[in-house]
Amino acid sequence: MGRPLTGLYFILPAIIVLLMLIAYPIAYTVYLSGVDAHGNLTGKNYLNVLRPVVTRQAFFNLIYYVGGSIVFQVILGTLAAILLNQKFWGRSAVRSITLIPWVVPGIVAATTWAWMFHTEFGIINYMLTGAHVIPAPIGWLTNKDTVMPVLIAINVWKFFPFVAIMVLAGLQAIPADLYEAAKVDGASFWEEVWFITLPQVRPVLVAVTLLLVIWGLNAITLIYAITQGGPANLSLITPIQIYQLAFTSFQFNEAAALSVLFFIVAAIIVAIYIKVIPSNVEAAK
Amino acid sequence: MSDVADDRRQKPAALAAIYIASIILVVVCLFPFVWMALSSIKKLPELFTVPPHWLPADPTLGNYWTVLFNSNIPRYFLNSVIISGGATLVALLLAVFASYGFARFEFRGKAYLQTFVLIGQLLPTAAIIVPLFITLRYLHLINTYWGLILVYTIITLPLSVWMLTSYMRGIPVDLEEAATIDGASRLGVLFRITLPLAMPGLVAVVVYSFVTCWNEFVFALVFAQDQSVKTLPIGLAEFSTEFNTDWGGVMAASMVMTIPVVLLFLVFQRLFVGGLTAGATKG
Repeated sequence: MGRPLTGLYFILPAIIVLLMLIAYPIAYTVYLSGVDAHGNLTGKNYLNVLRPVVTRQAFFNLIYYVGGSIVFQVILGTLAAILLNQKFWGRSAVRSITLIPWVVPGIVAATTWAWMFHTEFGIINYMLTGAHVIPAPIGWLTNKDTVMPVLIAINVWKFFPFVAIMVLAGLQAIPADLYEAAKVDGASFWEEVWFITLPQVRPVLVAVTLLLVIWGLNAITLIYAITQGGPANLSLITPIQIYQLAFTSFQFNEAAALSVLFFIVAAIIVAIYIKVIPSNVEAAK
Repeated sequence: MSDVADDRRQKPAALAAIYIASIILVVVCLFPFVWMALSSIKKLPELFTVPPHWLPADPTLGNYWTVLFNSNIPRYFLNSVIISGGATLVALLLAVFASYGFARFEFRGKAYLQTFVLIGQLLPTAAIIVPLFITLRYLHLINTYWGLILVYTIITLPLSVWMLTSYMRGIPVDLEEAATIDGASRLGVLFRITLPLAMPGLVAVVVYSFVTCWNEFVFALVFAQDQSVKTLPIGLAEFSTEFNTDWGGVMAASMVMTIPVVLLFLVFQRLFVGGLTAGATKG
């Protein structure tokens, strides 16, 4: 319907705004990364960000943070979704409550958990020492062995609800006759989960996982607000390193070089996302 | 939509397992908020007691008094409302037209443009923050409402287009065709027929955009350094100095910024969750 260009006119304003706000900054980042402070072409920025050990450390921390978070977000989110799909009194209230961690501001989650993990006055050390799980209070956010696991746990708490609603929507779309057939065959609850539920929600799980990867790569708020990358860069991740290079050290060109490298990694993941999703959805139909 | 377990009679053991798991789930999700609320009505000496008290011995509203009358939080609250509202409206206006175009027209390059919008949605903000800063500084938009509204459009616009397009595809075209035959213009059709039908989708988009901007931290950290435009997430940091944190104030301010979001979400939950999952499962 309509002339071929009419549709384009409707879309154009949004596309122009996005080009200005996204395509232009990306092009400008590439330019900045290749020049020095005087605008002369140079490869120094890349060398300067690649050489220090801290860049590698930040990248590995990022992989650890994103990977560790996603495993638990997906497992806990799927389990929560299976639970919320059962019929029981109070289900809708539990569904609403489950979503709350995801809706609240990240900074609020960060400060509240930081307060709960406080070494001296935190409720978590109090509960754990009281229950004799740990003999003495632990400096969760300052100890090198605990800081990343704690940050991952907080990140899991914040985002598993998102997995839960997405998987729940997938569960509700599964035709009931599949389960009836399984029941006739005498399948147990866990057999149903394994042979019917999981294969049916696989496309949703793939989509959600990749979305979590993107968000994870992007997630500055929690770590920045809780540890600022410390202690001794142990929780430093690449996005925070870019932020600090640009706005603490004012090395815009080096920050741009790191942005480009980071962008390439993210773009590869986005490309996989766009390639994988449609074929998966088709396969499920 | 079928509920898997609807037609199944639960055995008592299974039901017990369901309730135990539900209780654990609810406690895990709510405990930080309970602790935040309890901490916000404790006096400072009580916050710094070892071992910590579960319930405040001497509850006080003093922290809220500090937050509401002796801090910049009310101003930041206003800034947050203006910036989140502005970015939501700008994105909505552009997204209404764009998603109508995507949902109702066929034209060359449409698939590429849709992919471009999707990429905008997935783009790492950290990778574009430096050039955005330089550009906004050049345009004198740092520390202005418009500067933040513009950068927040990066976040809200792609998702709004995405959610609205899939919502509009679900609206039957028959009504629009009838109106076109009666001589209504394209825009007339969009505003008088499609948009009223798309109201639930619009509400979902508005709630999602607003909440996302309200919660946003990194852009605000970079582009709003002045008190006149700082938003709530940045304001929270003002209760901490290098050596000391007014935890009572932080917790009270956290309550103040969490309650509107949670209320908004609970009121519009059905639309919000429906719009989001429709966008994800139908693409």
